[in-house]
Amino acid sequence: MRIESKDQFAAFQAQAREREAGRKKRVLVCCGTGCLATGAREVAEAFAYEIAERGLDVEIGLGVKSTGCHGFCERGPLVVFQPEGLLYTKVQAKRVPEIVEKTILGGEIIPGLLYKNPADNERIPAYEEIPFYKNQVRVAMRNIGRIDPTDLTDAVAHDAYAGLAKALFEMTPDEVLDEVETSGQRGRGGAGFYTARKWRSCKAAPGDRRFVLCNGDEGDPGAFKDRSIMEGDPHSVLEGMIIGAYALGAHDGYIYVRDEYPLAVVNLQAAIVEARKAGLLGENILGSGFDFDIRISRGGGAFVCGESSALMRSLAGKTGEPRAKYVHSTEKGLFDLPTVLNNVETWAGIGAIIHHGGAWFASMGTARSKGTKAFSLVGKVKNTGLIELPMGTTLRHIIYDIGGGVLKDRPFKAVQTGGPSGGCIPENLLDLPVDYERLTEAGSMMGSGGMIVMDDRTCMVDVARYFLAFLTEESCGKCVPCREGLKQMLGIFDALVEGRGRQGDIERIETLAAGMQLGSLCELGKSAPNPVLSTLKYFRSEYEAHIADRACPAGICRDLTAFEIMDDCDGCHVCFKACPTNAIEGTIKELHVIHHDLCISCGACLDVCPTDSIRTFPKIELAVREVV
Amino acid sequence: MAEQPCVDLSKTEAILGSYPHEEPSLIQVLQDVHRAYNYLPCDVLVRVAEVLEVPLAKVFSVSTFYKAFSLEPQGDTIIKVCTGTACHIRGAGQLVEELERKLGIGAGETTEDLKFTVKTVNCVGACAMAPVMIVGEKYWGGAKPARMSRYLAEGGSDEN
Amino acid sequence: MPTLKVNGRKVTVAEDVYLLEACRAAGVEVPTLCNFDGLEPWGGCRLCVVDMSLAKWDDDWFKMVTACNHPVEEGMTVITDSERVLATRRVVLDLLLARCPETPLIQRLAREHGIEETSYELNPEPTDCILCGLCTRVCDHIGVSAIASTDRGWGREIAPPFNEPPPDCIGCLACAEICPTDHIKFTTSNSCRTIWGREFEMLRDPKTGEAVITKAQAEHFAARSGVPMTYFETSDRSKRLEVAKTVERLRVVKS
Repeated sequence: MRIESKDQFAAFQAQAREREAGRKKRVLVCCGTGCLATGAREVAEAFAYEIAERGLDVEIGLGVKSTGCHGFCERGPLVVFQPEGLLYTKVQAKRVPEIVEKTILGGEIIPGLLYKNPADNERIPAYEEIPFYKNQVRVAMRNIGRIDPTDLTDAVAHDAYAGLAKALFEMTPDEVLDEVETSGQRGRGGAGFYTARKWRSCKAAPGDRRFVLCNGDEGDPGAFKDRSIMEGDPHSVLEGMIIGAYALGAHDGYIYVRDEYPLAVVNLQAAIVEARKAGLLGENILGSGFDFDIRISRGGGAFVCGESSALMRSLAGKTGEPRAKYVHSTEKGLFDLPTVLNNVETWAGIGAIIHHGGAWFASMGTARSKGTKAFSLVGKVKNTGLIELPMGTTLRHIIYDIGGGVLKDRPFKAVQTGGPSGGCIPENLLDLPVDYERLTEAGSMMGSGGMIVMDDRTCMVDVARYFLAFLTEESCGKCVPCREGLKQMLGIFDALVEGRGRQGDIERIETLAAGMQLGSLCELGKSAPNPVLSTLKYFRSEYEAHIADRACPAGICRDLTAFEIMDDCDGCHVCFKACPTNAIEGTIKELHVIHHDLCISCGACLDVCPTDSIRTFPKIELAVREVV
Repeated sequence: MAEQPCVDLSKTEAILGSYPHEEPSLIQVLQDVHRAYNYLPCDVLVRVAEVLEVPLAKVFSVSTFYKAFSLEPQGDTIIKVCTGTACHIRGAGQLVEELERKLGIGAGETTEDLKFTVKTVNCVGACAMAPVMIVGEKYWGGAKPARMSRYLAEGGSDEN
Repeated sequence: MPTLKVNGRKVTVAEDVYLLEACRAAGVEVPTLCNFDGLEPWGGCRLCVVDMSLAKWDDDWFKMVTACNHPVEEGMTVITDSERVLATRRVVLDLLLARCPETPLIQRLAREHGIEETSYELNPEPTDCILCGLCTRVCDHIGVSAIASTDRGWGREIAPPFNEPPPDCIGCLACAEICPTDHIKFTTSNSCRTIWGREFEMLRDPKTGEAVITKAQAEHFAARSGVPMTYFETSDRSKRLEVAKTVERLRVVKS
């Protein structure tokens, strides 16, 4: 059905809401990439089968819905029962008949499937009461987990395209721009440029043809909010882009999606087809006379393509090499025409901003960072997953109240934000309210919202080396400071972690870092030293230990670390099984021993030891012991 | 250049038929070609250059710039070990080592019988289940070196 | 016509030029390795960084930009020798010297910036290629695009497709001649030229018999310009002789 007027859209909306209201009883199965990996599709199919087999769809109006990512990936597959709001975690397909029998028909809760709060071991039945969800405020992710991403009617029942209808029929393009300005929204891709300012600059550029682009090349390792939005609520991205195009007078849009996100491509493509059919995309949108269409372009696998000028070259079929942006892409972007490029999360927020008003969005957050921000909370933290919170929330609240604290209650060491362009923030800054400025001041950055929690078993030199290795592979190689500088910097770090560090290395690192920051062509190179400089700033003693003592204090760098089993070993034999090189000897219930000549210092034993009876010590001490 | 068997160009023609014949289509065409042949055969690149009217040197440049493309035939099952930050600090390196022990190949290599190709990939966005390994299309979250045989045995056949 | 101040000297330049030209007009030399008059600026070598302040900015606020591709603007202040500019150039040259330890041009530039030896790890496979991209850009400019950059990052190289003799090459030597380090090797004899592993037939001047141009190049330019092939196969010496003869004839008429 093609919607051709404001009234027809209102009627469609009413219909969709009515259908939704009539389907009170629902089983929502999370089918995000995380849950799919643990068997969510089978779970959804098993529910569908059970419901059909028992005729429950007719009898009690029960339906099953595959939704986008609920965010709590670690506990997947996740299933939510409505209207009760009951959440089951780690649901296996084989248990579905039992769940239907007991929970749906019998109204009985199966305790073993409930979420267990690691803080107090309490089992929490209600989705909304779980600390991970309770503290969130969702704007960009407003419908993820609630709707079936492949069902337009479902999305519309949850206010999708309400903002678009308002923009098209009640607002002029300039009023839309004003509303976005009022919201104070800044780019969610990392740099934090004001959305409205970018749009105005593009609108002011001469020329008849302009482009609206969506950056879905979420390359920061440890970040996956854009993936979840594209997979779980593709219509929110389309709606934002259509509104943006209307404000700018653009008629062509592209979404550039990472090749590593196949499900995002599929869901976006399906959403585009559905939106076109419904008259939400294409010619004469909703009968308003406005034309705009969107195409999807799959990236080829290059982190640098997240950089705007590289992304635009890639869209033109070329290698992803950035160019100088002394002339902004808002004036000279894709095919040298005025272009607005915004991040997935930025676009996803636009529909809600227009629907609820800019003032509503601006009422959340801090003075200069308005609204909410999505983060992926991962690493050594108990509750890993995707969250959205008002700007200004403290790191401590995020990591301890939402994340449940550090895994295995080990000591917290640092949280890495901003991906390879960001930095590591130490414990004494945990009360930092998270916004663009504060993170930058702390030597890190917002980036695409990855938050990687690190415990004491994390070597900061190794972490910096990890990012350098990543960037060395991802540098396009166009400019000297980035191409040659990263390679040389990585060489210095290789020496550090292998115990070949020399006096003066820290100074060499600092000189090179400054040259790269000032001299590199694009942000990839300019920000590449950030992980190095931030770890150097907060964890300098670890660097010094690597150089002066040939020791890795965290016991991670293999060439510097040896392992041994302490006397309190109860002989559980778990380490024996975990050791990949058979370096551990011992019979059950007796003290085990590590043979240093066979040990490769991988740490597998330490990670599995239930009694914490394995310790690390500097490898050079081995030589001393032999002498003694 | 390695000897390459003659390839069937009809698949290429079909792919080229579904895109406008212009440079912006290049990466999209190469993606589809890569999916169809499991690598980018050089005959195909020559044909793509001709039809899209892009200089062959540019086609080669793009084919070697992007990580998604391989110019060498790849194994039937592609094993991707995610080396994103979350996976890194939760032990992705040990998975790569275990694969090296099991299959005798390192990252970026293919077994002689063309059964497996091992790749390390940048964050696949499944960080909450780190470390993650993808065998064929099957994702394994919380992957452990000790379970590698199982991943290899089940991975290729699963359609998930 | 905007007026700028470069190292304190006032200079007025055309609207559409870049800072590098303004610096040169002011008599200030800014080093560069990847810029070439007539080719679009590229901004890859980063040697031409300068400090720049717009008229509307605070007096002490400067931004570091590359002179080769930054447009000029009325009232700009440019400083080409600030401490951080020189420090950045030193890092760039230090890195290039590690990559190309045996390349005379890089050695000289490094020495001029006070670097005798690189502070970094020497390239185990020294090369003369500084990846300035001039060769590929000139090849594109001519409308041939026989060579391009391959791979990325540290692995980046300039190569013909599949590292085989390039089918589109016309043997014009533009790449070899523009190369600032003479990295691209070629040979030319009276009958044949080789470059990038390909052999080219030479066209010889019908009068003097000397080799003038590759047949492929003559064909390329003839097709592109519509000028007959015979024009291209005439050597410069032949053309000069022809001119001299004409002048001789003119003189005869005069007297």
